[in-house]
Amino acid sequence: MGALAMTTHSSHDHGDLPPRTAQAREDALLVEETLAGNQLSFQLLVERYSDRLFALARHYTQNPVEIEDVIQESFLKAFRRLDTFHHQSSFYTWIYRIATNTILDFLKRRGRSPIQTVEDPEILARPEPTDGFAPGANLEREEIAEVTHKVLAELPDIFRTVLVMREFEERPYQEIADVLGISIGTVESRLFRARARFKERLMKDYPEFTPGGQD
Amino acid sequence: MKDPNDFTCNDARPLVPLYLDGELTADRASPLRRHLMDCSSCRTATQVHKAQQGWFVPTPEIKVPTGFASRVARRAFQGDTGEQPLPDAVLTDAVLAPVLPFVLKMTAAAAGLLLVLSGVLRSVDVPTGGELRADDASTITLDDALERLESLNADESRGAGGKGR
Repeated sequence: MGALAMTTHSSHDHGDLPPRTAQAREDALLVEETLAGNQLSFQLLVERYSDRLFALARHYTQNPVEIEDVIQESFLKAFRRLDTFHHQSSFYTWIYRIATNTILDFLKRRGRSPIQTVEDPEILARPEPTDGFAPGANLEREEIAEVTHKVLAELPDIFRTVLVMREFEERPYQEIADVLGISIGTVESRLFRARARFKERLMKDYPEFTPGGQD
Repeated sequence: MKDPNDFTCNDARPLVPLYLDGELTADRASPLRRHLMDCSSCRTATQVHKAQQGWFVPTPEIKVPTGFASRVARRAFQGDTGEQPLPDAVLTDAVLAPVLPFVLKMTAAAAGLLLVLSGVLRSVDVPTGGELRADDASTITLDDALERLESLNADESRGAGGKGR
């Protein structure tokens, strides 16, 4: 059993280190121990990040079986590539990126909107912003979540991804850039277009739920 | 250099989402805040943007199944097949054990059959000629052998001459 594998549950004892640094160090040790053949260390890494990755996946599919499959596949991919992880980013950023790509691959395999294959959203003209809207006061929280999920499912992956990361997960632009391997400027412009596209699609598909469409 | 007082709506609008996302540094946020205090149109745009975020409500959490981490770790260390590989000893016992007696019996039967066949062939197919046998293991000298051959040839010549007459 590795050193961290035995002590990780008392990881809060690193009082003199900032939490982030302590976590990064623990992750690095768990990675090392995993590479040395310690199964328990890898299990601890999985335990550490399962909650957050399950939370991420639920923004793309709400089927619990699919979520479990896709997150399991993400961890197995990470395990196979563990020797390529050089700690240039945090382990979480690294596994998050793998999970995002695995989820998107899964959605492609499962088949989604054919629009994605012929459309290059990056070169489309910036859509004109439409008038403001907010969920109607008569909508229940679950209804809002369902509508939003359906609208997101219709968006191209590159828009959907930044919206999930920013609006649901409230990740800073720098982290979004790191995970997606793009510049902060690209994150800004992509997010701007994604929000405009979300609004457009929402007003088109659900006019009854948006102001001015309920008449 | 641009005068900060020239900050217009066109400057402000692209910064509004960044401002609401907390992504503007203080020196970029400051002129925007001043502009928003004076410009009702941009304040409305800011409210509109903020209202849109109301669509992104947290969805119910999906609980991680019990034992998920240990299952994933086990699969990872078993080669990602999802199936438990059988150790060599188990393979020998489980796969070879039922067929081993049959293989041994067949091998013994084949060996016995070969032995019988070889005996039969030895007795049937060995060429013979008078006293001289191909399998004659007795030790004879070259002169003795030549003498026997000449004797055989002479016998055959006589036989042939008798027939020819």
